[in-house]
Amino acid sequence: MITISHRAGETPRPDSHSASGLIAGPGATTAPGVRVRDLTVVYKTPLGELPALGGVSLTIDPGTITGIVGESGSGKSTLALSLLNAVQPPGRIAGGSVEIDGLGNVVDLHGDRLRQARGRHLGYVFQAAQNSLNPLKTVGKQLLDLGRSHGVEDRRALVRDAKSLLERMGLDGARVLDSHQHELSGGMRQRVGIMLALVLNAQLVILDEPTTALDMITQATILRIIREVHKERGLTTLMVTHDIGVAAEVTDRLAVMYGGRVVEHGPTMEVLGAPSHPYTQGLIRAIPRLSGDIEQARALPGRPPTLGTLPASGCVFQERCPLRMDICATVEPPPVIEDGRTVACHAVERSRHTAQREEHP
Amino acid sequence: MTLIAVRGAPRVNPVVRRLAGHVVRGLVMIWVVTTISFVIIRNIPGNPVLGQYETLIEKGMSPDEAQRATAALYGFLPTGSLWEQYTGYMKALLHLDLGQSLSTPGTEVVTLLGSAAKWTVLPVLGGTLLSFVLGVTLGVYAGIKRSGKLGDLLSISGSLLHGVPQYVIGLLVLAIFTTLWPILPAGGPVDVEFVPGFNAGYLASLIQHATLPVLTYALASYGGWVLAMKSSVATVLGDDFILAAELRGLSRGVLFRYIARNAILPLFTILALSLGMLFGGAIFIERIFNYPGLGLLLVNSIGARDYALMGGTFLVTTVAIIIANIAADLLYAVIDPRVRTGGTA
Repeated sequence: MITISHRAGETPRPDSHSASGLIAGPGATTAPGVRVRDLTVVYKTPLGELPALGGVSLTIDPGTITGIVGESGSGKSTLALSLLNAVQPPGRIAGGSVEIDGLGNVVDLHGDRLRQARGRHLGYVFQAAQNSLNPLKTVGKQLLDLGRSHGVEDRRALVRDAKSLLERMGLDGARVLDSHQHELSGGMRQRVGIMLALVLNAQLVILDEPTTALDMITQATILRIIREVHKERGLTTLMVTHDIGVAAEVTDRLAVMYGGRVVEHGPTMEVLGAPSHPYTQGLIRAIPRLSGDIEQARALPGRPPTLGTLPASGCVFQERCPLRMDICATVEPPPVIEDGRTVACHAVERSRHTAQREEHP
Repeated sequence: MTLIAVRGAPRVNPVVRRLAGHVVRGLVMIWVVTTISFVIIRNIPGNPVLGQYETLIEKGMSPDEAQRATAALYGFLPTGSLWEQYTGYMKALLHLDLGQSLSTPGTEVVTLLGSAAKWTVLPVLGGTLLSFVLGVTLGVYAGIKRSGKLGDLLSISGSLLHGVPQYVIGLLVLAIFTTLWPILPAGGPVDVEFVPGFNAGYLASLIQHATLPVLTYALASYGGWVLAMKSSVATVLGDDFILAAELRGLSRGVLFRYIARNAILPLFTILALSLGMLFGGAIFIERIFNYPGLGLLLVNSIGARDYALMGGTFLVTTVAIIIANIAADLLYAVIDPRVRTGGTA
């Protein structure tokens, strides 16, 4: 069966109530699902407003770890920030919606309600290389700032939760809370970032390149922690990465982005094992194998589009595509769902039709 | 909440080590400045020391008497080898003996400096702190709202005031508050009819007289603080941890404190230095309001070719700036944990 995922008239779920309710302990809340529909984000440039996301639709099932992979500039981080309605100027969300269970459409959230949703319902973990902590305050004091900002009354419980989370991740909780950022290693900082994202029981956790700039051993540790905490707390997790190896190791489902579009989305093993979209295929061919000839790894020809070099019409991948057809220059391929996999490609579409015709003449 | 501090093994406290280094460097700098001022005084055309000696002989003193009198004046003997004079000068300096003033005979330079210093510290310290607090607070708003009307207004006011010379502001303030709208006294440190001490009349007069110099100083330095703080805030706003704090849903108040505290760090150095500079006196302001501070003393000593007094004024400025530098460094250690632990992050 073939369905088109553009469902403009879709009725929103009836759970768009206020975010300011009391939060229950872990286990009592359920992992939220996320439905991104036709999300368009534009950046203001001297050339006018250019789209960083051109109508992205993506459904994230509750309880899954979804990976978003793509080259630099493909829009992964913009998409991640959109889930918190935190696209930074000069960018802005120009259209579409982001429905999150328990929060409603976050694109419509503003002011204090948006602020309360961040941190409390939506946990965000930064890249380790970025310094995501205030250099002048100890982790403990920043934890209390977080608690105060979200009206947490029981500070002792907050500190206790933070310590147990840190210890859960193999750190000395008391020591870390009494440390400043510069006294912690990259891997420790990253675990502190995860702790701060989880300590208020956020059920949707978004990790933006969580292991980039970490050494291999620390990276493996952090990935294991992400998996374990995800399972224990029953989270919905979204992980942005440019490392397909990392995505393969951790994620259940994988979305491949190119030029501000999700070009392929499906179960990780299927997407990586039998990639449909020519871009995904090229991406996987470009990975050098640990054993075997390095010459077998073939880089994709051409370069990824920037905001200004996106094709004016048709498929965003047309210029680098080996399967390019006439229609690709004029019509943008719609995302097509089949067997739980989404692909946006005319060539894939055509070959499916051909295959079906051959099977049922 | 008990947080156990586990830090690296305490060798020498880094703050103490920094302080020791600064003190040593400061002493070396004081030595250099005093040596230079000794050499200059020995080499100015006309040689004031020898000139004084000869004047005294012409007045009928015996060479011995003249030598003693000159020695009392400068703190070192005008005759003898340069080295002897130098060691004599340094010895006197160690005892804080800067010699006698030439323009006010019979008065120790140290006494003059002391009485002028108190008149400088009051208005310039008041003015500096006032403009710092005001400029930094408004600078934070100008930085945060830099694309709004309020931000533009604050920046423009900062640039304008920063661009107007101190003495123009001083003259304007003088004209407005003593002539157009005469509510404050035009000059002097205090009205003479009051007995110095802790009585209401004296203190009120003191404050009245200090108001205009303080206001002038505050207006003249306010712009610099606004602009410096604004650009510092703009830098901090681009830091990752601010976005991280926003994405964690920290409240506006907390966010404001994060921004302000990080942005103010580089300004403390400027503050400490300008507090050191104040011992050089605010020359124009003290002239305009006839305020008997160090600046006015320096101007008068130059006019009277009073080299002993000049040397003393320079020395005070040097020492003050060196001390201010040390203070700034220690202050840094207090507010910036990265300095405290000697780390660089």
